[in-house]
Amino acid sequence: MTAFLRVMGAVAGKDLRTELRSREMLPSLAQFVILALLIANFGFDVGQAGPGVIAPGVLWLALVFAGLVAFGRTFAAERDQSSLESLLLTPASRAAIFLGKALAAAILLLACEVVLVPGLALFFGTPIASPTLVGALALATVGMAALGCLFAALAAQTRARELLLPVLALPLWIPFVVVGGRAVQIAMGAPGAGGPALGLLLDFDILFVVVASLAARFVLDD
Amino acid sequence: MTRPLSIAAALATLAMAGAGAMIFLYAPRDALEGEPQRIFYLHVSAAIAAYVAFALVLAGGVVYLWSESAAADRLARVSAEVGLLFTTITLVMGSLWAKPIWGAYWTWDARLTSTLVLWMMYAAYLLVRRIAAPGRQAARFAAVVGIIAFIDVPIVHFSVDWWRTQHPQSVINAPGGPALPPEMLVTFAVTALAVLLLTGVLIAVRYRIEALREQVAGLVEEAEAA
Repeated sequence: MTAFLRVMGAVAGKDLRTELRSREMLPSLAQFVILALLIANFGFDVGQAGPGVIAPGVLWLALVFAGLVAFGRTFAAERDQSSLESLLLTPASRAAIFLGKALAAAILLLACEVVLVPGLALFFGTPIASPTLVGALALATVGMAALGCLFAALAAQTRARELLLPVLALPLWIPFVVVGGRAVQIAMGAPGAGGPALGLLLDFDILFVVVASLAARFVLDD
Repeated sequence: MTRPLSIAAALATLAMAGAGAMIFLYAPRDALEGEPQRIFYLHVSAAIAAYVAFALVLAGGVVYLWSESAAADRLARVSAEVGLLFTTITLVMGSLWAKPIWGAYWTWDARLTSTLVLWMMYAAYLLVRRIAAPGRQAARFAAVVGIIAFIDVPIVHFSVDWWRTQHPQSVINAPGGPALPPEMLVTFAVTALAVLLLTGVLIAVRYRIEALREQVAGLVEEAEAA
């Protein structure tokens, strides 16, 4: 178990260190979510509908597409430099390698949310520090990273990988969007309690992290 | 086609024609919904057929990951195609029913949403089969997608249900026995059996075509090597 966690930490550390040195992903993702807010502001009739009604949808759209970019990159970069093969030649468990990469990708998306949520608060006047909002985003990110990275690993090994990842990941993320979307709506003023939604998101996280790490063995095979 | 398969195909055709006659001639007109209620028989039967086909995709995928059996993978692949066909029929017929009864082709209810996501996921399954390198990679990746898709659909249904729901509740599995008059129940049973028979025949025919295709591909490879 400690060996498993050590491999996972080493892989996650490697990915985060690469990002820290190259500084490619995070600036692009941050710019991407701010641009999404800009487009939403002009695409929607904000004055008519009220910012609180539109903001949760804008948040999820920006988050889901930023997630696709972030998770797609984690395995595409390994593929481009042929470093995935060497990583898989090591005797380390496939599940540990996979979870390490998913962890790094989840941290990257969380960092992107640190830009997105204040940006939303600035442009749409939504709350920042609501525990329901922060909890829902953090919990949804974990499960989405597990599923997203599994299919990113799969898609990276095929031709046309940019096509395959959204088609596979988006339908599987729907439960997170449905329940997380509800939690964000509640945090932004809709009636209801956010507690049950957070509990459900935690259940989904446990289920999909387990399923994805079991499936990783078959996706990261040759 | 082999002889038993030809007989089964002929039986399925007859059964479907019989079910059609019962739907329009034998089953009574619904007092509340009127004629559109007749859509129910084929709509629910197609949904059941789709679930059966996707259960075969799941089973085929699990057996393939376990044993790398080419037959299990072939069964999963052809079942996904047939399942997608019946999901499409379910969605289209449901929308046609919903327009006169609910006043709109579509609502974001739990069953509708999860059926749409079901359609999306198995369409993605077939896309994986097309894009991944044929053979072992396509089979392995598709098996993973088929298994996770099967787990995800009930969760989508549950999430939306938790959120809101509008689809009619089950009339067959209603508490205190089926809430349908006997003529409607018999018509439904006949239609469901006919559609299941048709599903079985379609899967068997597609399976045979795929097996023959693989055999031909193997022979061509052998001839080219020689």
